[in-house]
Amino acid sequence: MLKLNFKPIFATIPKKLKISTLPLSVSSSLQSVRENVSNNLITSINPLSPPTSAYIHLPFCRKRCHYCDFPIVALGSMNQFEDDPRIINYVQLICREIKATKPISTTNPPLETLFFGGGTPSLVPPKLVSSIIQVLKENFGVCSNAEISIEMDPGTFDEMKMRELLELGVNRVSLGVQAFQQELLKKCGRAHGLEEVHDAIGIVKSSGLENWSLDLISSLPHQTLEMWEESLELAVKASPTHVSVYDLQVEQGTKFGNLYTPGEFPLPSETQSAEFYKMASKTLSKAGYEHYEISSYCKKGYMCKHNVTYWQNRAFYGFGLGSASYLGGMRFSRPKKMKEYMGYVQDLEDGLVLNYQQNIHVDTKDLAMDVVMLSLRTSVGLHLKSFGESFGSSLVSSLCKTFQPHVASGHVVPLDVKQISLNADEFNSILSDEGKIEDVVAYIRLSDPEGFLLSNELISSAFGVIAP
Amino acid sequence: MARGISGITIPQLISVNTHHRNCCINSLSCFATNLTTSSCSSSFSLYNDKWKGRRYENIVCKAASVVGAEETTQSKDDIIVGQSRLLKVPISNIRNFSIIAHIDHGKSTLADKLLQVTGTVEKREMKEQFLDNMDLERERGITIKLQAARMRYVNEKQPYCLNLIDTPGHVDFSYEVSRSLAACEGALLVVDASQGVEAQTLANVYLALENNLEIIIVLNKIDLPGAEPDRVSQEIEEVGSSLQLIGLDCSEAIYCSAKEGIGINEILDAIVKKVPPPPDTADNPLRALIFDSYYDPYRGVIVYFRVIDGTIRKGDRIYFMASGKDYYADEIGVLSPNQLQVDELYAGEVGYLSASIRSVADARVGDTITQYGRKAVQSLPGYKEATPMVFCGLFAELRDALEKLQLNDAALKFEPETSSAMGFGFRCGFLGLLHMEIVQFHKGDLVTANYTLPVKTRSTDFVASKLPTISSSRLFKSLERLEREYNLNLITTAPSVVYQVNCVNGDTVECSNPSALPEPGRRKSIEEPYVKMVGDFFDQLKSRSKGYASMEYSFVGYRESDLVKLDIQINGDRVDPLATIVHKDKAYAVGRALTQKLKELIPRQMFKVPIQATIGAKVIASEALSAIRKDVLSKCYGGDITRKKKLLKKQAEGKKRMKAIGKVDVPQEAFMAVLKLEKEVL
Repeated sequence: MLKLNFKPIFATIPKKLKISTLPLSVSSSLQSVRENVSNNLITSINPLSPPTSAYIHLPFCRKRCHYCDFPIVALGSMNQFEDDPRIINYVQLICREIKATKPISTTNPPLETLFFGGGTPSLVPPKLVSSIIQVLKENFGVCSNAEISIEMDPGTFDEMKMRELLELGVNRVSLGVQAFQQELLKKCGRAHGLEEVHDAIGIVKSSGLENWSLDLISSLPHQTLEMWEESLELAVKASPTHVSVYDLQVEQGTKFGNLYTPGEFPLPSETQSAEFYKMASKTLSKAGYEHYEISSYCKKGYMCKHNVTYWQNRAFYGFGLGSASYLGGMRFSRPKKMKEYMGYVQDLEDGLVLNYQQNIHVDTKDLAMDVVMLSLRTSVGLHLKSFGESFGSSLVSSLCKTFQPHVASGHVVPLDVKQISLNADEFNSILSDEGKIEDVVAYIRLSDPEGFLLSNELISSAFGVIAP
Repeated sequence: MARGISGITIPQLISVNTHHRNCCINSLSCFATNLTTSSCSSSFSLYNDKWKGRRYENIVCKAASVVGAEETTQSKDDIIVGQSRLLKVPISNIRNFSIIAHIDHGKSTLADKLLQVTGTVEKREMKEQFLDNMDLERERGITIKLQAARMRYVNEKQPYCLNLIDTPGHVDFSYEVSRSLAACEGALLVVDASQGVEAQTLANVYLALENNLEIIIVLNKIDLPGAEPDRVSQEIEEVGSSLQLIGLDCSEAIYCSAKEGIGINEILDAIVKKVPPPPDTADNPLRALIFDSYYDPYRGVIVYFRVIDGTIRKGDRIYFMASGKDYYADEIGVLSPNQLQVDELYAGEVGYLSASIRSVADARVGDTITQYGRKAVQSLPGYKEATPMVFCGLFAELRDALEKLQLNDAALKFEPETSSAMGFGFRCGFLGLLHMEIVQFHKGDLVTANYTLPVKTRSTDFVASKLPTISSSRLFKSLERLEREYNLNLITTAPSVVYQVNCVNGDTVECSNPSALPEPGRRKSIEEPYVKMVGDFFDQLKSRSKGYASMEYSFVGYRESDLVKLDIQINGDRVDPLATIVHKDKAYAVGRALTQKLKELIPRQMFKVPIQATIGAKVIASEALSAIRKDVLSKCYGGDITRKKKLLKKQAEGKKRMKAIGKVDVPQEAFMAVLKLEKEVL
């Protein structure tokens, strides 16, 4: 029964799919990653290479935020979760899942990035986090200089917990501030107030941790441009190495989904919402942050390496309730309900399900869509040469032609090999000579902020070219 | 396609669907017969699951009728039973009849009962056995659309051959109904004893009388507690006398309950006694009337016909008089109700033929079949030309599909159309409206409302909602009774319409608003442009009258009129399919309505899009579509991109369904806007 539910997402496929290996990739030169990472953020389109990243889902929260539709487990408002059996049992379960997952390749390279997401992973006692890392080390190996990120919420940790986490190897924190206004935090149903936000920033900064991200949400109900400006300024003042700016999405089934309609009061209008986005881009760029992905900003060299794995369409493991993995070209999401997830782990141990299959066929069109949608989210954009090598030069040329009017309107930017942007006239003249496109135009990217703002429109046009 | 044809409300499409389904199931059943029952039954039971619900009862009934198909293979007894119906009877003992009824008045139940009582389908015990053992055949039962059934009935020791010819379920197919009726000499008028006379009952009576059919009135469902047979028969008489219909004498109405089997034998006896036999014209040159046909992917077009004159034999070279094509009749047979092969059919008989007819256009419904070697002088008259009721443009390579459609539904009209914006396509329903450059069709034949008709209360709310803009109480009153009038005369305000009123004193007055019409006493007739029919008028009429209203119209010809061409420009590009011809006085209103509608229908683009209505170079109405400022920028949390990708794919699909006009993506709905305008402006 279960087996049926977990069949590969990609079922069919041409065997001779050509996978180009790029000379530059994040993993190729580990020592100099930080220096080179910006240049190296180009699209690797080899999802079949062995995974070196793992996402671990820790679903516990004190309560559900009003906008949240992730698979979480609300624990309630007590203060100590040290011995909560729900957490202990879950961690045991996730360790079983990790153990039951066989390394995908014989070379079995050690993991280079771990990402503890949630939920609120900072609610999980550090010793339990440590046990997960231990199991990962045993099963796959973890590089000594691996990026180990954890999401933390204000009000869920103190200096001590912070120190413990750092001691067990965590070297990157993603702090869920979301807003710097007490009334907005309350309206979002956050389990913390503004005071805890400032405390948390203080704890993180004083811990000596260098690489941390401050996460904000824009377009919240009742949020004004002034509030957003204030949030951005305070975020800059906290001087994290990374800022994530997520645009609020009103999901069906959430409290916000029941209460609000996008574009209607108290949510900002589409125009206001676009203003928020532009303001973030402007303010953070001015403060020295690079807008390297639609919703991510970082100081030079501080990209989230784990997330870069996603944008490069590379393989990654996923463990825990509702988490997604991408192994051997196959995307797979675990059950979102705890009971089903337990059954899944049991089946995995019993060999009844596989979360990946060897030599499965990957649909070329789907792969091309993945590459386009992921790479166009980044500031580097789509590397045309490698895309052409994998999917054919004619696709590159029709893609460019589709984007021609958008280059003219400034939503799409072609870049030459030196990453210098080409203007519409130059681009048009290059398009007349199909053979030359990939040599002259190295990348196609969406402009910041106009192109990023209309990314769905632009990417879906590209989809129309890939699968006419 | 569903999007593209949203303007079509024609149940034709529905009937086509069933035909297609029939074809597909036919082919399935062909396979099935070659396989073992056990291996097939599982796949068929899966299929069966889709057929749950209301239709189930019907299916079982019709499934029962398929038993005949098995007669030839099942047992020797059955062969005899089946063949008895193939036995020839004298022409004087043939009765061809159909059953006409309002929807849900029990037509199919009665038909099934007649088949059962005459032994055309299995008896109860056989049926049970059949249901138990033959899942497969039951499935096949679905495929049999009862088009005609030959029944054997013995009355006073005389064997009779009764041919029941089914009429399409929906009376709006007056054309289809008329074809079926033209193949008969009599009709059972089934009236629900509790519901009484309904609009469609009357419409059917008119059609039956037009075809000179002997009408036998059957009051059905008398077993129901709410049945009021006396009231209903009185009602029929009242209506009948007020309409001065001859022959609707309810004193001889048969009280029946098809469900309970009450009155079935009386009906059969009445058919034998009252319905006249077909004229004996077997020696004349062959003339056979096609009353239905469908496309079978294995055998080509299967034609259902009634032999009017002469004789048709297996192997005959036959000639279709309208299409001018000739074929050899490979197989002829009768429908009982499954197809049973015979060697010949003579005047008065009803049957089917298969002649490897490949092109669907060669054997159109309504055509006359004759012998190639001995052609009839004249084709059969009496088929009423279909009048399209709804219209729309279809842009896609649909010629084959439309031709197949047309085979089953001659009421469908279509013409190829080319448009710079939409490519090749067809304008369906239009009877030559394409070449309406300056001349426009005028609708005529406007019967002034009949003041002697009784006013039915149920008609008032319909009229009130249908004609909210008409202020003249006198006009309002005169319209109120239209619901009962078959040849109704509705005056409505369509935005593009100017009426032409012919007055008693010979004056002709043009009138753009019905409230400004001259006094009824001064009016001789009112003519209105055919263009009003374009769009969803019929749809509206049907829905607002809850299906009670029926409508007919005819042309009086072309009239010169003060018309202008209204163009639509989207982002500066003229869009041909949106251009419309309107009366000069209505241009502004239409222009405004159209641009507003288009603004609603065209999704916002990445840039601002002006939408303008122009006459020549002059802009008469203008709207602007603002640019999209921002997409939904969802993050792909935890690397899970599947949901986002699905949304993007959907968005890409949506774009594909749209038509690029210059840089602007315009959805199909926008092209329907012209047609839908009436609804918005009324």
